[in-house]
Amino acid sequence: MKLVVKNLKKSFEKKEVLKDINFEFEKGKIYGLLGRNGAGKTTFFNCLNEDIEIDAGEFYIEDNNNKRKMEAEDIGYVLSTPNVPEFLTAREFLKFFIDINKNRIKNEKTIDEYFGFMKIEQEDRDKLLKDYSHGMKNKMQMLVNIIASPNVLLLDEPLTSFDVVVAEEMKQMLREIKKDHIIIFSTHIMELALDLCDEIVILNKGMLEEIDKNNLDNQHLKNKIIEALKEE
Amino acid sequence: MIETFITSFKLKNTYRINSIIYSIKQLPIIKKILPNSLYKNKGLKIFANIISILYEILSIFIGKIIYIVAMIFMALSWYKTNQSDMFIHLFTFLTLCGGVLNTYMLNPTKDKYYAIVLMNINAREYGLSNYYYQLLKLIIGFLPFTILFGMITEVPLWIQIVLPFFVVAIKLIVMNYSIYYFKKTNKASNENLPTKFVWGFVGVCLLLAYGLPAINIVLNKNIFLVIFIISIIIGIYSLIKIHNFKDYKKMYKQILTENNVYMQEKNTGTQAIKNVSLKQIELNENYTSNKSGFAYFHDLFVKRHSKILTKAVKKQSIVILFIFIALIIGILINNGLKDRINKILMVYLPYFVFIMYCINRSSSVTQAMFMNCDYSMLTYRIYRTPKVILGIFKERLKTLIVINLLPATLIGLGLALLLYLSGGTNNSLNYAILIISIIAMSVFFSVHYLVMYYLLQPYNVSTEMKSSTYTVVQGITYFVCWYMIQIQLPTFSFGIATIVFCILYSLISLFVAYKYAPKTFKLRA
Repeated sequence: MKLVVKNLKKSFEKKEVLKDINFEFEKGKIYGLLGRNGAGKTTFFNCLNEDIEIDAGEFYIEDNNNKRKMEAEDIGYVLSTPNVPEFLTAREFLKFFIDINKNRIKNEKTIDEYFGFMKIEQEDRDKLLKDYSHGMKNKMQMLVNIIASPNVLLLDEPLTSFDVVVAEEMKQMLREIKKDHIIIFSTHIMELALDLCDEIVILNKGMLEEIDKNNLDNQHLKNKIIEALKEE
Repeated sequence: MIETFITSFKLKNTYRINSIIYSIKQLPIIKKILPNSLYKNKGLKIFANIISILYEILSIFIGKIIYIVAMIFMALSWYKTNQSDMFIHLFTFLTLCGGVLNTYMLNPTKDKYYAIVLMNINAREYGLSNYYYQLLKLIIGFLPFTILFGMITEVPLWIQIVLPFFVVAIKLIVMNYSIYYFKKTNKASNENLPTKFVWGFVGVCLLLAYGLPAINIVLNKNIFLVIFIISIIIGIYSLIKIHNFKDYKKMYKQILTENNVYMQEKNTGTQAIKNVSLKQIELNENYTSNKSGFAYFHDLFVKRHSKILTKAVKKQSIVILFIFIALIIGILINNGLKDRINKILMVYLPYFVFIMYCINRSSSVTQAMFMNCDYSMLTYRIYRTPKVILGIFKERLKTLIVINLLPATLIGLGLALLLYLSGGTNNSLNYAILIISIIAMSVFFSVHYLVMYYLLQPYNVSTEMKSSTYTVVQGITYFVCWYMIQIQLPTFSFGIATIVFCILYSLISLFVAYKYAPKTFKLRA
């Protein structure tokens, strides 16, 4: 299965943020999306999530050479600022999500098993989400996004709000689930991208470009990435 | 200090200009034509500058004349006492109220926040120079009107002239006290959060202002002279103290917190609305639900927001009940009232459009729905699928209608009962029309607000208002309802027309919502 993006364009007024995006993202890989501030990473995600309309181009899922539209069920999007319904407890939020995704969840687990999987402590499970910390909200957002096991998982700087221990846990979790998903992971932290991602993709001047990792040690790869990002 | 003042004035002017341009850019249609580079445009800047300066000049006078006319001049006719003494009397006591309620210095405004907190401008120089400027504006703004209205009420010229200085003296005394209090307790008072003591003081002053004349006690010129001299002496002493106070920075640190500053803009500050909305959530062990899916989700929303939903409506209903009981008792003991009420019921049904508008909870409920729920949920793609959107829409519609129905039914039945007790009507259909039309209005408002919310959802992911169409529609709704106050029509025909309109409107708008909400109900870009 692949996510294919073809000639995608998006401008705001006169500013062309995404000029011509062409890329194929494959299942089983984590893609590290790097770009400078304002390069358009979030815009790219918002386009894929249909939060904003694209000006031109298309994106679709290709499965065994069958092309089909990317549906709401195909996509999970974890924002950099976590958004959770604050009037619910974590348990209620999860229950609601399981309810509305009932027929899509393969081998459904109990709510507590999900909490255990995300390492959310017993005493936090019945607290209102409005009393959750930033990092905890982020965990919840991540959890509900992977429960329904969407084919494509967009993560917008998801690990920055976690402490080192949780960040390590999350990385491990992403490695575990990657075989069933296309994971695109935007970040500013190069070490994180190099450590976690299978492919490095750079968004620069409105275009996506894959960095060829072959035969390069870490230092050379870093230099190459920085050079690519610096290009004006 | 003058330099600091000029800098701060320029700063204030700059963002005032930017907000003028920003509001121009928010207008429907126009916003599509205008580019972002607008903020650089010279001609527009000059235009905005002129508006800004006009605003500055008008702000000196407008508030003062409204204040004198509304609070003093119009009240003069209620009393039979000497008009000039009465003018002085009201002015003196209201000045005391204003003194504690509005200090300028302790008001956590955005310009202070920008200058002192964000730009690190010297707090003392900023605070003092702007304070003096405000006091100067106060004198200039008051003087023409104390003279004008003083002349009309035959107040002696010297009093006409000293009144503005009296106001300044009182402000200085209050400010000095606040500084004294801060030095002693390390607590700075925020003038937007008056203490119980302040409210008590204001209450007493208002009572003395408007109450004393009712029992024929009014300050005369001699007493005013004594009060004035004392105020001026303490005022000058206070001015010296205020000028020599050093710790403005420390004091402003306490006052200029983000919460205080953004509380200011209740209308535009969505962050403030968000904070208020968050406070409406209640967690109670008993608030659980045995439903599932959307119904479960919505059920919990309703239960966790009972303060603004069920409880609010119950309170409303109790008040309505009391009003009707009072009216019924009134009718039974007073024949004159009986006739008047009967007449009112037969021609004033349009007035109830406005009343139903005022008591309908839907507007604030949809706001809470957004701030506490949809704002975060709309970022989930699955929440935006037609099935989920319409599923939750249905649940919400049911709740809004049912909740607003309780007070509406009470009003409908109450009116019908009043009609009967006040002498009845020769067409008994009128009873049914009263009840049904009031209920129809209530359903109409519930449907209207919810449908508008689903079709025009105006906020973006950072809870900023991005569509002015929504505001415009709300404005029109208000205006139409308000306009109805002035219309008198026979209850029979107006009632039937209302019922037909409400049914048609509800059906059409629900159809439109079902068709378009899955597309329109999302966060703005």
